[in-house]
Amino acid sequence: MEIARRIRIRERRTRNIGGGVSVPVVLFLVAAAIFLVVGSLVSPIFAQQTVAGLAQGAIFASLALSLVLIYRATEVINFAQGEMAMATTYFAYQLTLWHLSYWAAFFLTLLMAFVFGAVVQVALIRPVQHSVIAVVIITVGLFVLIDGLVTWKWGADLKFMPAPFGNQVYHVGSVAFSRQDLGTLLVTILSVLLLWVLFKFTKLGLAMRAAALRPASAALVGVRVNRMLAIGWGLAAVLGAVAGLMTEPTVFLQPTMMQAVLLYAFAAAVLGGLESPAGAVIGGLALGVFLNLIGQYVGFATSELRLPIAFAVLLVVLLVKPHGLFGRKQVRRV
Amino acid sequence: MSRRLIVAIVVLLVAAAVVVLLPFQLDGYHEGLAAKVAIFFIAVLGLNILTGYTGQISIGHGAFMAIGGYTTAVMSHYHHTNLLLTLPLAFVIAFGFGVIVGIPALRFSGVYLALATFALAVSVPQFALKFSKFLGGSNGIQTFTTPTHLWLYVVSWSCAGILFLVAWLVLRGRTGRAFRSIRDSEIAAAASGVTLPIYKTLAFGISAAFAGVAGSLFVLATNGFAQPNEFGVFLSLELLVGAAVAGLGSLWGVLIGAIFIALLPTVSADVPLIGSAHGQDVVFGLIVIGVMLVLPTGFAGLLHRLRSLPGIRTAEGED
Amino acid sequence: MGMKGRMLAAFAGVLVVAAVATTAAFGAHRADPGVTSTSITIGGTFPLTGPASLYKTIPAAEKAYFDYVNDHGGVNGRKINFDILDDAYNPAQTVPLTQQLVEQTKVFAVFGSLGTAPNLSTWGYLNQNKVPQVLIATGDSYWGFSYKKYPWTIGWQPDYPGEGKIYGKYLASNMPSAKIGVLYQNDAFGKNYYAGLRVGLGAKKGNVVSAQSYDPTQTNVTQQILALKAAGADVLVIFAIPTQAITALVTATKVGWTPSATIVGNVSANRLFLLAAAANGANVNGVISTAYTVSSTDPSQANLAGVKLASSIIGQYAPSLVPSLKQGDGNVIYGLGAAWTFVYALQHAGKNPTRASFMAALKSMHNVVDPFNYPGIKMNTSRTDNFPIEQDILMKWAGGASGDWQTFGKLYNGVR
Repeated sequence: MEIARRIRIRERRTRNIGGGVSVPVVLFLVAAAIFLVVGSLVSPIFAQQTVAGLAQGAIFASLALSLVLIYRATEVINFAQGEMAMATTYFAYQLTLWHLSYWAAFFLTLLMAFVFGAVVQVALIRPVQHSVIAVVIITVGLFVLIDGLVTWKWGADLKFMPAPFGNQVYHVGSVAFSRQDLGTLLVTILSVLLLWVLFKFTKLGLAMRAAALRPASAALVGVRVNRMLAIGWGLAAVLGAVAGLMTEPTVFLQPTMMQAVLLYAFAAAVLGGLESPAGAVIGGLALGVFLNLIGQYVGFATSELRLPIAFAVLLVVLLVKPHGLFGRKQVRRV
Repeated sequence: MSRRLIVAIVVLLVAAAVVVLLPFQLDGYHEGLAAKVAIFFIAVLGLNILTGYTGQISIGHGAFMAIGGYTTAVMSHYHHTNLLLTLPLAFVIAFGFGVIVGIPALRFSGVYLALATFALAVSVPQFALKFSKFLGGSNGIQTFTTPTHLWLYVVSWSCAGILFLVAWLVLRGRTGRAFRSIRDSEIAAAASGVTLPIYKTLAFGISAAFAGVAGSLFVLATNGFAQPNEFGVFLSLELLVGAAVAGLGSLWGVLIGAIFIALLPTVSADVPLIGSAHGQDVVFGLIVIGVMLVLPTGFAGLLHRLRSLPGIRTAEGED
Repeated sequence: MGMKGRMLAAFAGVLVVAAVATTAAFGAHRADPGVTSTSITIGGTFPLTGPASLYKTIPAAEKAYFDYVNDHGGVNGRKINFDILDDAYNPAQTVPLTQQLVEQTKVFAVFGSLGTAPNLSTWGYLNQNKVPQVLIATGDSYWGFSYKKYPWTIGWQPDYPGEGKIYGKYLASNMPSAKIGVLYQNDAFGKNYYAGLRVGLGAKKGNVVSAQSYDPTQTNVTQQILALKAAGADVLVIFAIPTQAITALVTATKVGWTPSATIVGNVSANRLFLLAAAANGANVNGVISTAYTVSSTDPSQANLAGVKLASSIIGQYAPSLVPSLKQGDGNVIYGLGAAWTFVYALQHAGKNPTRASFMAALKSMHNVVDPFNYPGIKMNTSRTDNFPIEQDILMKWAGGASGDWQTFGKLYNGVR
């Protein structure tokens, strides 16, 4: 013990980024998918609950994506992610009040979100990035601050934005698919694909990965590490804005709109593995479906237990796979 | 006796004197506020033992407060137990829960542990809703008798004093060294013969027990009324803020951290600028961010830096 | 006795004399806290931030009414000072804030505090200290029933179980063979509504084929709506707070379910919410609810005194609330109505009101007509009847995405 104190040995962790996919996990997921398809064919209510679960899960997934992105970039959990997403949704709302069309507001908001996220990283996170606890506390402070500012500017009453995908509903047999839910799913999957392309095929993505993995070495080869971190946060804020805008049609605009979603998004992100965007999406979708089916078929699982069940699932998965379904085992060297 | 120990004892005696004399100066309402400081002092002390001394991050101490608080409410409501007796009961029950949580927590570390404890903070209040017949549900559960401001003040500060002593004794001995070694390097600690599971779980238990007592007093300060909304996520986050402002890994900043989170909401509610409702949140958020930017190692860190200024003799050693 | 002892005795003697003299001087006109010859100070706790903050228009409207009264001379020459405090719907904040009101601000009464749990956390303290806790903003019935143990506490609005009873009676007499599906919030609020529904259904209780609860943290209720549809319900009853009420209406339409009747609890029946539901694709024509206040948007009510008064007061004293009022936010009228009742009781509490005389006035109302209440509603209270408003009128939505509520039928009397 004294030796450790004197020499201050620290553990180094090696991290890998890229396929944490293991065969058992994939098999398990395929089996689950087959179960869902079969169940849907047998029972219309099962099918409808699954579809509804996927729609819910897409919302969790979209916010989980931004959590994962921040974690990948800076190894930090951003408690203010939900509030930042909420604030950017209010930006979009304000733009529509100024007579911009929904989609014009949407894309302009994404731009504003990027700047917002980058500024937060530079101004608030960078000064204390060596201390995990300090960063966490700052994100907590940001949570409260943003909540207060938004309530001050726009008020706490329910507000409504135009529906992004319209209100049509498609029917396949007795199962209804709403255009909004399909749109949300599509947007979420598109986001993952774009992220994947960014990280795998572009120089910027490579630089960002390098900056996250081995900041010292990356700096040596000319990567502007600080700039990469800021960009990471900016992108995460963009994903958060998307999440907020996709969530708005379901819970409408109020300062607390993302708070419950954030909780489920945490569960989804950790479930999938905090460093895996694909994991976040699959984790979110799986969580949504699971909660709906459990609620439908298990009597004891009444609505009060929805949140605890989500976390119980998470904890069970973590006990078996401590880094999530697609996470990588971290090797700790002394 | 070492110089540091003398200074410590003097500071403690002065503080004790202030605490004893204060009620004669304060009216009931402010006694309530002072009691609130004591309550958060106990909770932050507990959290510090876990996060500051063994390095296990917990964002779930609100859950342990809830357990202690509901213990008091339930025992008093159904069995008319003397309020004072419910405190050691809450201590023991919360300790038990802490150990139960600590065992699976051995598998997690870092951010995963933080999220697991966060899950706890979110889930525990939901159980009060699920078992609403027994635990009162959304209508809460009321103790049989309610304490006066003075009772609350005296009992809270007595508990704070006693538990501070307990913490100090635990942390300066072998257990404390074991805790600190775990924080510095688990592998090295294990290699040096520290049985990790026992000490890590013990830390969880002690930490939870402190939070449990704080929770009991918290419910008593809320007129003996326990209800799920009192133990929301934000309570756990507040405790973490308090611990960070206090400065992790040291007992001396805990009072400052406790004063910070106990009184800041009241102070920021009076901010004239933005209007009372929103001023509170905005000011709280700004100050938390500001304090962290300026003092990332908290008040204890500030003390440490002051002590290591040239001209001030320091003795290298343990806190 | 030594020198010190004698001094102590003399000091004590002086104190005693002073105390007796002071009491004698003030004994005859000992005023209650919060009352001076020119002002009355009251206060209340409201969720200005946090999960229930969409109700913050209520205290704003109440303040507007008090400002209006103050501008017209106040009550018996006293201006009303109204302290609005934010407890974020958290009893751990309600308690210290209420203690602050009583012990620091020394209010005459606690008025209009919002929320069941917050009020439950303070009613013991307030009654112990004999502080009026009046016209509190919650529809639970505890305040009405507990007049023996908590005589200083009284509510205002018709209670949820009573309202649920009306829906039950309506369904039992108009749709006696309907299969009913209920969506309710999983706390006392929703459960009490549901219990009232069953009481109203009476013998037809068995018509409820499924009852699904949801947790306020749930962002959508699709799972529950699907379960209700799957159970074969053809009447949907929604006892939910606004967000989930709106999503329930929308979801029901989206999953292709067209119930033959849909009922929405009054709490979520704000015109704004139905409009939002319609904008999101819900089929809202024919949705039923109840009302006990005047409507600021129903053209057939435009000439009512209360509607005109509301418009002028809000326009002058709370212009930021005008858009809400114009869109039909019932919370604004609610606030005005509750404030009116407070002022009425104060006016009837004597020239030098005390807490006791105020409570007596509040608890002896006989057929009092509040202009902001729906025409025909008369408030009655007594020592044993602690429910000021016990009447409701049913209303049905017409006009789709740009429509409004239209009242129908007769007032339901004595919902208790």
